Amino acid sequence: MLTAFQKYRQAFLVGLQGNLVYRWNFALRGFFSLFHLVVVFILWGAAYEGQATIGGFDLAQTMTYFVVLLLMQFFIGAFNEDYQISEEIRNGLINQFLLKPVNYFLYRFSIFLAARLVSGLLILIPVAVAYPFLHEYLSFPDEWWRLGVGLPAMLLAAVIQFSIAYCFGLLTFWFLEIQGFVILSLAVESVLGGQLFPLDLMPEWVFRVAQYLPFYYQMYFPVAIFTGRIDQTLAVQGLGIQLGWVLLLLLFNHFLWTRGLRRHTAVGG
Amino acid sequence: MLHHLKIWLASARYSVTRTLMFRFDFFLWASVELVWMGVNLLLISVIYGHTDSIAGWSKYEMMLLVGTAMLIQRLLFGFFWSSLFETARNIRTGHFDFFLAQPGNVMFMATTRKLDLDSLVNTFVAAGVVIYAANQLGLSPGLADLALYLLMIGCGLLIHYSALVLTVSLAFWITNAQGLEGSYFTLFEFSRIPRQAFKGAANILFVWALPAVIVSNIPAHTLLHGFDPGHALWLLGATVAWFTLACTVFHRGLRRYSSASS
Repeated sequence: MLTAFQKYRQAFLVGLQGNLVYRWNFALRGFFSLFHLVVVFILWGAAYEGQATIGGFDLAQTMTYFVVLLLMQFFIGAFNEDYQISEEIRNGLINQFLLKPVNYFLYRFSIFLAARLVSGLLILIPVAVAYPFLHEYLSFPDEWWRLGVGLPAMLLAAVIQFSIAYCFGLLTFWFLEIQGFVILSLAVESVLGGQLFPLDLMPEWVFRVAQYLPFYYQMYFPVAIFTGRIDQTLAVQGLGIQLGWVLLLLLFNHFLWTRGLRRHTAVGG
Repeated sequence: MLHHLKIWLASARYSVTRTLMFRFDFFLWASVELVWMGVNLLLISVIYGHTDSIAGWSKYEMMLLVGTAMLIQRLLFGFFWSSLFETARNIRTGHFDFFLAQPGNVMFMATTRKLDLDSLVNTFVAAGVVIYAANQLGLSPGLADLALYLLMIGCGLLIHYSALVLTVSLAFWITNAQGLEGSYFTLFEFSRIPRQAFKGAANILFVWALPAVIVSNIPAHTLLHGFDPGHALWLLGATVAWFTLACTVFHRGLRRYSSASS
């Protein structure tokens, strides 16, 4: 157990070093994300003109949702892990993992955690710079249970994010190019994951159906807990469903990996 | 001019042949873009489910604005995006040498080489959104209004092209910052918001300093409220200014280019 931990700890440290090399790319991405936040503020600010609430939430609550969403995207969102996995399969770099006692999923997940640690800490810089403009729009609930439920929800959301990216990466066993599938899926994830607008603004029945889909749990769920958009009962229930999706996705990943390897041809030394 | 048109037609023929070879890719990417356009319309639909107006624009006025922005974006993607995206990469890797040896203006050759038919197909969908919104608003523009609208769409396209050339030209100076051109997507988002929603510093920066807002707002305004000479001159002036700036910066950067070591 300890040996296994040491193994993936090393992968995490290598990932940390690798991602620190690209710190400027992450910083640049963080800077441009602030522009997205400006778009959100202008659009929703204009929508709130002449009315105090939309969907039962005031302007500050909605803006807080989008700020936390941005932070969450950099702390737990999958960036280009699908492409990295795809490249490793296509170029035969996964061959080395077939001969070593290293679990490819855990190896990639360790690197994913390292990457998100770097990007997550880097997004804090532009957000801190923008804080004097943001702070009057921030409104957090003062219930401490949200932290207790929100943190595990955030961790499980990270696993779902990575698992979905991993699934798409593994599609390379069957398809040469996965970019189209990834961007198509991104559209679905953006809508049903609440990344475009808070999901609770959708018609009631859509919101209910979304609660049984994995996308709901990969971003909207932890953000909604932290920003007070869902109550305790819904949060605890959701945590159970989220755990179920994590297990299902892990099983599906394993299934794709074993089936994919049957098609894989390792050439050369 | 005719010489460049012949080169462009040859490139277009090559792009069509290539698309016919990879038909699945064509359908996949056309669907991807279609879904994303649907996502943008969904956002409007959801917001207008809770409010009647955004900065004084009704739902269908907003749809007309978003349709206009999508139309310009699809044209940009169809005619220039692939070539521009590759240009930045080619500058970094040294493959840009290939364009220096070609029989035409370097900027033209490098930025117009590939057509994306999947994006061009979706211009019809974007145009459909504009027509649907105009219908819902009871608009009946004359031929002159339509010609003016299309001319303004052309100006908007040229402004976006120029801004992207400027972004890509940064690769001549900053070789280790990848994905700069991808970040340009963020600026597109501003073109889907009514100009009246921008206030204070945001108004100065995004309406007056950067052309992000006027490229779509002025054509949409023309279709909604008729010809405004002030607006037309503003858009034309911005087009000339941004295109001149793009040409200057690109050719300045070109002087710095020193093949693979650049």
